[in-house]
Formats: sequence, structure tokens, C-alpha cells
Amino acid sequence: MSRGSGGGYDRHITIFSPEGRLYQVEYAFKAVKAAGITSIGVRGADSVCVVTQKKVPDKLLDQTSVTHLFPITKYLGLLATGMTADARTLVQQARNEAAEFRFRYGYEMPVDSLARWIADKSQVYTQHAYMRPLGVVAMILGIDEEKGPQLFKCDPAGHFFGHKATSAGGKEQEAINFLEKKMKNDPAFSYEETVQTAVSALQSVLQEDFKASEIEVGVVRKEDPLFKVLSTEEIDEHLTAISERD
Amino acid sequence: MGDSQYSFSLTTFSPSGKLVQIEHALTAVGSGQTSLGIKAANGVVIATEKKLPSILVDETSVQKIQILTPNIGVVYSGMGPDSRVLVRKSRKQAEQYFRLYKEPIPVTQLVRETATVMQEFTQSGGVRPFGVSLLVAGYDDKGPQLYQVDPSGSYFSWKASAMGKNVSNAKTFLEKRYDEETELDDAVHTAILTLKEGFEGQISGKNIEIGMIDNDKIFRILTPSEIEDYLNEVA
Repeated sequence: MSRGSGGGYDRHITIFSPEGRLYQVEYAFKAVKAAGITSIGVRGADSVCVVTQKKVPDKLLDQTSVTHLFPITKYLGLLATGMTADARTLVQQARNEAAEFRFRYGYEMPVDSLARWIADKSQVYTQHAYMRPLGVVAMILGIDEEKGPQLFKCDPAGHFFGHKATSAGGKEQEAINFLEKKMKNDPAFSYEETVQTAVSALQSVLQEDFKASEIEVGVVRKEDPLFKVLSTEEIDEHLTAISERD
Repeated sequence: MGDSQYSFSLTTFSPSGKLVQIEHALTAVGSGQTSLGIKAANGVVIATEKKLPSILVDETSVQKIQILTPNIGVVYSGMGPDSRVLVRKSRKQAEQYFRLYKEPIPVTQLVRETATVMQEFTQSGGVRPFGVSLLVAGYDDKGPQLYQVDPSGSYFSWKASAMGKNVSNAKTFLEKRYDEETELDDAVHTAILTLKEGFEGQISGKNIEIGMIDNDKIFRILTPSEIEDYLNEVA
């Protein structure tokens, strides 16, 4: 097996390494972790909630412009974990695609269609040398007309799965372990339980109690399928409920 | 395809005459989840492991076995995202064939066109080969057929084949048990037993997928409860 390493370019562009791996894709995953933010998503019986840290590195920054939670349409939300610039491109393209879908087919783009579209785009970046993979893990949430509340996660490799609960970012694995224990018996969470599970998972994994201004929370509910970003007051209510519960 | 800056092939010959990118792609396939196919006297069955990264993943959102036309199905081993591209292209090619000739595409032709796509990605500029091998199962006028397509674009017709992690044990098992006169139901049992050989953990209707086509020429993907029925017959 002479010249196995592809001339050393297997680390620079998405071609196979001798072990059959794509190093650029693996490095993209590392970039997601390096951003230093952890996000969590939980799907309940009739709602979906996503929560992420809101780290404002400089007091002079306008806090309202620091966000990782983006509405794609009125009914679909996207939580981007990782490199913010890559996230903005992704959101821009997703918004365009969802709007064109609505125009072309006459009905709102379902959650899994958008997730598949994002994942297929990510796959193209893993196969064509001229574009690098995006350093973003996207969680898409929405209420599907037939299947109910849906939470999908798309990663730089082009994988996408539906999840009952999931996490992304720096403390992803700890959060998933926490959530696996909570969701082991397939519980059917109410809206409040969904939000509280997501927020308390984040608190437990990062080992700190949050103030409402330090996290972002996004929800969709069956009875009100519009994607909503919770205000600081609403977040406070949930935080108080959690601390009273414990 | 792609930027002009990358209009040179990334898959090039090594001094010993090998195309190393294709070999690495085959390594990627070999570390994928096991899948297999068996051609019976009256049909074809394909099956695969469906190991998900966490119990939090909703297994109903994942389907590895896909339908290409009403009488042709496909399963892969290797990189899931790459397989989606091939499934989409194959479906389009089948539709274009039908539009032109007003008859369903023969299995051999669809396999050839898919394999051509895979070969193009080993020669075109700025792209890498696909990290998947496909098992295509179909039933047309020539009877039941099973084809395996590799990342290089080469394809062969098989009586029974396996791909992925446990390929050598699975193929040995299949060689011992293969019989040309097997009926489809028995072939499903053999497929399950082959998967069971290398399976880590408890096999169930939720962590394997089975697709089959018999002489009604309709490719069906079994539901988890149908798989459980077959599992109980085998146990």
C-alpha cells in the first residue's frame, strides 16, 4: 500500500484517509465543540423545546444581536450550535428553501423535509473539495401535521435523525447521558415538563444555575404551532418552577 | 461540477497502479453496519442492522432500506449521507427511463446507471468517491435479481452477498447455507440468522430492517412487528 496517505491532503480537503475516514468532517465536529456552547433539545407529547447558553463575551455588545436561535418560517425554528458565521449562512439558505417550498407546493415545509434538505447540502460539502463542511450542528423543531411534535438534528457529516431528546456542543455527551436516564421509559412530557427537563439538563451538565438572561429558549406547541422564542420573564417562570421543584 | 480551481481528479494512480482513494472508500464501507442480501427461487430479501447512536434517537425517523421503483429496493453499508445522494439520483434515472420508454426500468439498467454515477465520482474533478456499497434487489421480467455495487462503480450479480463490518463471517455463513431452490420465507430466516451471527446485543424488530420482493413484483419494507414475527419463527 504505497503512498497511503493521499499526499497529506486528506487532512485539508474532504478525501478519504487510509482508514476510510474524512478528517475534514471530523475536524468540523471539533469546531462545533470548540465554540464552547452546549445546546439541548427535548420533545414532549405535544411540544418541543430547545435551550442553549447565551454567552455575551463583551459588555459593550448589544445582547439582542447575540443569538443562536433562528426562526426559519413561522412554524419552524433552528438552533445552531457551533460557528456563528456558518450558522448564519445555513439559516439564510434554509429560510430561502422553506419559502420556495411553500410557494412551489402550496403547503408549509415539514420539519423532516427541511432537516433532509440541510443534511443533503452538508453531504455535498463532504464530497466536493471546493467547499469545506460547515462547523454547525443544527437542531430543527416544529409541529408536523401528521406526526406531531418533531425534533431533528443535522450534523456536518450530513447525518440527520429525529430525536426524542438530544444535545450538541461542548458538553454534548454528558447531556445525552443525563437525557437518556430521564427519557428511558418513554415518558410523555407536558409542555412545562418538556421545558423544565431541557433547562434542568443544561443546568446539571454545566453545573451552574442560570439567570434568565444567560440562556435562550425556543418552543413549539401543538396548540400554538408557531415557533416562539421565550422572553426573559417566561424563562424566569420556568427557572423558578425548577428551583422550587428541587 | 464544482469550482474550476478543482478541475483535476482527486483520485489518482499510485506508483503501483492502485487508486488509493477507492481503496480507502472500501475501508469506509467495511467499517459500516452489516447488511446482506439473498436471492431466492421466487424473490429477493435484503436486510441490515439498524444500530442507532443513542436510545434518544427516534427510530421511526430512520430508514436505511429504500425503494427505488415499485419493484426495486436498495440497502447500503457505509456512509448514510452518501447513500441518500445515490438513492435520489437512481430514482430520477428510473423515472426518466419510464418517461422515455413507457415501461419500468429493468434492474440491470438501473444498476448500470447507478454504477456509472459512482464511477464518475472516482474520475471527475474535485470530488471524492462515494463511501457506500449498495445491494440492489429487484424483480422484473428476467426474474429475481440481486446486485452489489461498490465505490469504484463495479457491480456484480450475486446469489447472496454481505457487506460491512462482519462481511467475512457473514459470507462464510451464507456460502454454507445457500441453496438455489430456497423459498423466499426461508431466505428471510437465513438472512436473520446471518445478521444474528455478528450482532452485538439483543436483536429485535427495532434494530434491524428487512426488505423483500416476491413474484408479485412489489418491493416491501417489513414493519417492526412483521420482523418480530419472523424472529419468533427463527428463535
